[in-house]
Amino acid sequence: MTTTTTPTPQGSPTVFQERAGLRRTVDTIRTSALPILIVLVFIIASITVPQFFTVETIRAILLATSVTGIIAAGMTAVTLSGNLFSLGVTASVVLSGVVYLWTGSMTGNIFFAAFAAIVTAVLVGLVQGYIVGLGLNPVVVTLGAGAIIYGATAIVTGGEVVAASSNSLGVFATFSVFGVPLPVIVLVVFTAVAWYLTEHTTIGRNLHLLGSNKNTARNSGISPMGVTIWAFLAFSVGIGVAAVLQVSQTLQVQADNFGELTMNVVAAVLVGGTAVTGGDGSPVKSVIGALFIATITQIMVLVSIPQGVRYFVLGVVVVGLVVILHLLRKASSR
Amino acid sequence: MRSVTAWFKRYALQLIVLLIVVVAMYALYPNFRPEAAIERLIPLGVIAAGLAVTMIAGEFDLSIASMAALAGAITVALSGLGLVVSLLIAIVVCTLLGIVQGWAIAKLGINSLVFTVGTLVLLRGLTWLVCGGLSISVEDIAASDIFSGKFLFLSPLSTIAILILIALGVFLARTRWGRELYALGSSRHEAIAAGVRYKRGMVIAFGISAGCGAVGGALTSAVSGSAAPTALEPMLVLGIAAALVGGISIAGGRGTMVNVFLGFAIISVLASGLAAMGSKAFVAQLFTGIFLLLIVLAEYVIQRVSERHRRTRTKRVLEEQQELAAV
Repeated sequence: MTTTTTPTPQGSPTVFQERAGLRRTVDTIRTSALPILIVLVFIIASITVPQFFTVETIRAILLATSVTGIIAAGMTAVTLSGNLFSLGVTASVVLSGVVYLWTGSMTGNIFFAAFAAIVTAVLVGLVQGYIVGLGLNPVVVTLGAGAIIYGATAIVTGGEVVAASSNSLGVFATFSVFGVPLPVIVLVVFTAVAWYLTEHTTIGRNLHLLGSNKNTARNSGISPMGVTIWAFLAFSVGIGVAAVLQVSQTLQVQADNFGELTMNVVAAVLVGGTAVTGGDGSPVKSVIGALFIATITQIMVLVSIPQGVRYFVLGVVVVGLVVILHLLRKASSR
Repeated sequence: MRSVTAWFKRYALQLIVLLIVVVAMYALYPNFRPEAAIERLIPLGVIAAGLAVTMIAGEFDLSIASMAALAGAITVALSGLGLVVSLLIAIVVCTLLGIVQGWAIAKLGINSLVFTVGTLVLLRGLTWLVCGGLSISVEDIAASDIFSGKFLFLSPLSTIAILILIALGVFLARTRWGRELYALGSSRHEAIAAGVRYKRGMVIAFGISAGCGAVGGALTSAVSGSAAPTALEPMLVLGIAAALVGGISIAGGRGTMVNVFLGFAIISVLASGLAAMGSKAFVAQLFTGIFLLLIVLAEYVIQRVSERHRRTRTKRVLEEQQELAAV
């Protein structure tokens, strides 16, 4: 937030045209940089890392992307609406996971269990959405809510591992259509729906408007409360779906699990290029961000880089990309 | 005398909440020892102070808990040089990192939430590297004995923490650079237009924040003689809760170190009381979360009510003026 005012361009229309052309170039770089980067990483890794270009590796990358990607696509709605991001992802995922395993073990019906898990996530998310909608700081609210959800889940489960009664509860993760695992299909469908909702419906347009200028949006008759609640609804559905897919893979869950999930999701949204100030971005970008993070993590696993270094590299990549995207955005809005 | 009543009025809400929490703890658990709560000044009190300084400047430092863990890891890893030496190295290194962070945020003009979320992961990764992925411990177990003993009723650690809080309080309230942080936090554009140096403010705020985190983490590790890659993770939410419960405004520009101390006292009485009763750490997390949400909601309601009050008053004045004009 600097006060340096850029001199307003004066003179011949060509100056404007040049500026517009430059802005277009910067915008193109900004939107296409990450996909190109992923392709480059894929090509380089396929040549240099022996086991990279195999079905197992691609499958592992896509499975890892499915969980973070679905949540990141949902969280994009929250970020777009100008409500920054949520720091309570892990706690909500664990809670929904516990609900899935418990109802699943009791009833034996995985669809009912998944439904219960999603409903739980939505209820918890709507409460947070309402509080944020009042105008309270989203980071603080979600951090506080995360602490409450974590504490409550740990108390109810006694801090113990909750395990599935039978392997049939893992069908959502193991089922595949023509070799494509179900979580990946869910990711694609979820992202497509999220994309359609944010780009081609009134709700989506309202999200963009509220995020880019809250006062103008309110003056044009958009209810900040209503839009914020819609955003949190989308986010919570993502959390519920992702939680079901996640615990279907692990078949057990403990209150302390998935500690790095919150950061991965936030990193995916930021790296994907959605502006944290709101109004600019798309769920598709966030999923690409998640794919990028999953890819570099998987490459580092393959060349057996220890976990500490992986975490460090991830941090460097996130900070670096966030700074570059910020500078590009500044250049294009100049 | 008037200033004393003014002081009490200013911190009334926090003092009442603190009193309620202390009474409740004694009622639920008669053997409750308040000293145990004070002993949490390291790391919680100083971390809350660091978060408060950035909040006052209108920014947010999410990386503080990672910074604390990194300082702890450096302290233990270099403990061969002597514990005090390694402690100082850790604090200096981390403060420098914080200064770089503040400089980068100001230089790029980037949202500090976004930047510090990145450095949160980055510094945690550095901590993993320093620890080598395992929990590490000091070779010479007797080295931490210098921190035992009592100074009045305080341990040396708590004394250090209180001195830091006092120093920060004086810095914020009595020095030009400190007051500039309030100016940057409450109305940034006006402050910069009036000649406050934005970059210097950010460097100071994030330097102090990192320094506080480092002191907290380094001393914690020095006393326990160990550090772990995942250490101190809950300190972020606890620190934010302490600062906000104490009455530091998230919007910036408001709050003092007395607020931080009261907020710390409320959260740590709660946590140590629950721990004394034999509850697990997650129960304290639950209550901290509830407190955090309640306090931000209370602040919101108070703000709304006073706003409405002000609006009706201006309306009345306007009506009176119109009547006068009509006459």
